[in-house]
Amino acid sequence: MRLDRIWIVAKKDMAEFRTNKYIMYTLVLMPLLMALVLPTIYLTPVTMFSAPSEPYDLGIVSNQTLEGDTIQGGTYLNITFVDCVLEDVIAESCNFEGCELRTSLVRSSQLANSTVFDGAVMRSNVLNVTFNNAVASDLRNMGEDTEQESFLSQFIGFLLLFFILIPAIIPTVIASYSFVGEKLNRSLEPLLATPTTDAELLAGKSLSIFLPTMLVTWLSFIPFVLLVNFLAAPILGYAPLPDLTWLIGVFLLAPLFCIMAIALNVIVSSRVTDVRASQQLGSLVVLPVVAVFIISLSGWFVLGPLTMLLMAGVIALVDIGIAYLTVRTFQREEILIRWK
Amino acid sequence: MIETHGLTRTFGDNTAVDALDLKIRDGEVFGFIGPNGAGKTTTVRMLCCLIAPTAGTAYVHGLDVNRPEEALLIRGKIGLLPEVPGLYESLSAYRNLDFYAQLYDVPKGVRAERIESLLRTLGMWERRDDAVGKFSKGMKQKIAIARALVHEPDYLFLDEPTSGLDPEASLTVRNYLLDLKKEGRTIFLNTHNLDDAARLCDRVGVMRTSLLAIGSPDELAGMFWGHTTVVRMRRVGPGMTEAVGSLPGVTAVRQEGTSLLVDAASPDDANPLIMKVLISMGGEVLSMGELKRGLEDVYLKLLGGKR
Repeated sequence: MRLDRIWIVAKKDMAEFRTNKYIMYTLVLMPLLMALVLPTIYLTPVTMFSAPSEPYDLGIVSNQTLEGDTIQGGTYLNITFVDCVLEDVIAESCNFEGCELRTSLVRSSQLANSTVFDGAVMRSNVLNVTFNNAVASDLRNMGEDTEQESFLSQFIGFLLLFFILIPAIIPTVIASYSFVGEKLNRSLEPLLATPTTDAELLAGKSLSIFLPTMLVTWLSFIPFVLLVNFLAAPILGYAPLPDLTWLIGVFLLAPLFCIMAIALNVIVSSRVTDVRASQQLGSLVVLPVVAVFIISLSGWFVLGPLTMLLMAGVIALVDIGIAYLTVRTFQREEILIRWK
Repeated sequence: MIETHGLTRTFGDNTAVDALDLKIRDGEVFGFIGPNGAGKTTTVRMLCCLIAPTAGTAYVHGLDVNRPEEALLIRGKIGLLPEVPGLYESLSAYRNLDFYAQLYDVPKGVRAERIESLLRTLGMWERRDDAVGKFSKGMKQKIAIARALVHEPDYLFLDEPTSGLDPEASLTVRNYLLDLKKEGRTIFLNTHNLDDAARLCDRVGVMRTSLLAIGSPDELAGMFWGHTTVVRMRRVGPGMTEAVGSLPGVTAVRQEGTSLLVDAASPDDANPLIMKVLISMGGEVLSMGELKRGLEDVYLKLLGGKR
């Protein structure tokens, strides 16, 4: 197989795509929709109703530690209480660990593994604190994610599957013009009469679809990451993207889905004589992606690096199978005689 | 040289080409004529290694079309003009040719020069940067011919090169093919246009699934009718037909209006005797000449059609 011939075919096809407004619209609008518009629409409501939870930077400087004491009344500043029982106290910039607070007022402090009866805790960082009839205001969680944060993290995982629809859908449009268009134009016969092998032609045409698709997919990943981080970081307290799961998804799973979409569309193109029919049938390639999306939503598995790698392995095997069928379909005799 | 030996192609139960034996010499312009579905395009596709024969084989430039590695070499030596130009309509004429020149490994330094030469010869240089989709049918056909020649192939396969063209475009293409003939290129011409075949081809094969006849246009006519002399007279008098028919070497005589049509084995020997007899019987001979049978007559005779 000669790589220069593959590149000649790919370059010619890409030059043709540049003159096709439907392909250009798809290359611009699809990433815009999938990577920017829809994530904004879906993420904004979630983030609007999630309280920011990054712990306050309280700047507590503890001067004294009291351990196992019972404290009645008084005002305290910059003191660490461990396993103490406090009643009717006012505390600011203090640490409480394993304490019981009764009818007390606490502000700008850190409370861990403690119980608060009556009283109020304001603008403080808390971890495993039980409130009994107490007022809690402007509290930030120091430990594991809250339920809202967990949902947000999971939701970002779902967006990955959404993002992967980009390389699955774009080839459907391009391939329909590339293969069916060439068939309708009857330009395949002189092309097949050149000293180019079937494999070189197939590889060249596939490359011409793969390159722009993955280019816009990867380019749109940059604003997508910025957008998601912009919306989710204040809630989560950290920038969730890019993480390993997403990197595997975007740089391994997305190209594999793209290859699957191209290969399936070559087979579809060989059986239809109309660009739109090809697009409609070819778009069925999104079904596996949607299936994974639904299964993930149902909670059967959690999207993580291992899941993504397993999924990539399965898709790679499917790709090999479909590619084999595609090579069998894309043979000059088949094209000239049996392609409808 | 192009050779076929028992070349056969079937599609299911339908035999498109049946045991075709052909030998086309280098530098020859060979015409393939026959009705639609006669197997002409299938033959060209087999010779261009686009489809494989079901039986038999063919050699182009000594290379076997049945061997995949040789098929690739054959495709490098041929230029194909299919029935439909099949150009990339959104690309310019120049870009179309440049793409094919690259696929045919035309060296970079030669490419531009050759494309310019072809486009200038075909009168398309000024339109080189225009998208082919804007061109008329004749202009597209010219670009398709240039495409088939961009790598200077030894063998040129042309499928209906003047089909659907207006008379002017048809004439341009025909004249260009005559120039190619002068260059000594081997040309395989599939055509319905018997006038094209008669003007361009050294030999013609009449095809309907199998090869019905092959030869130069004159040879083909001779196969069926021998030589016929037309004697145009002011009036054909009584007994003249019989008198001419009894002359040595004359095989048949028939009267058509005021003319006698005389079949003779050797017109050069028979014609002076015919003239002498007719004058001696008081006949006034206005003219005497050979009846030309065209390819159309051969075609209709072979394929059972009627004028």
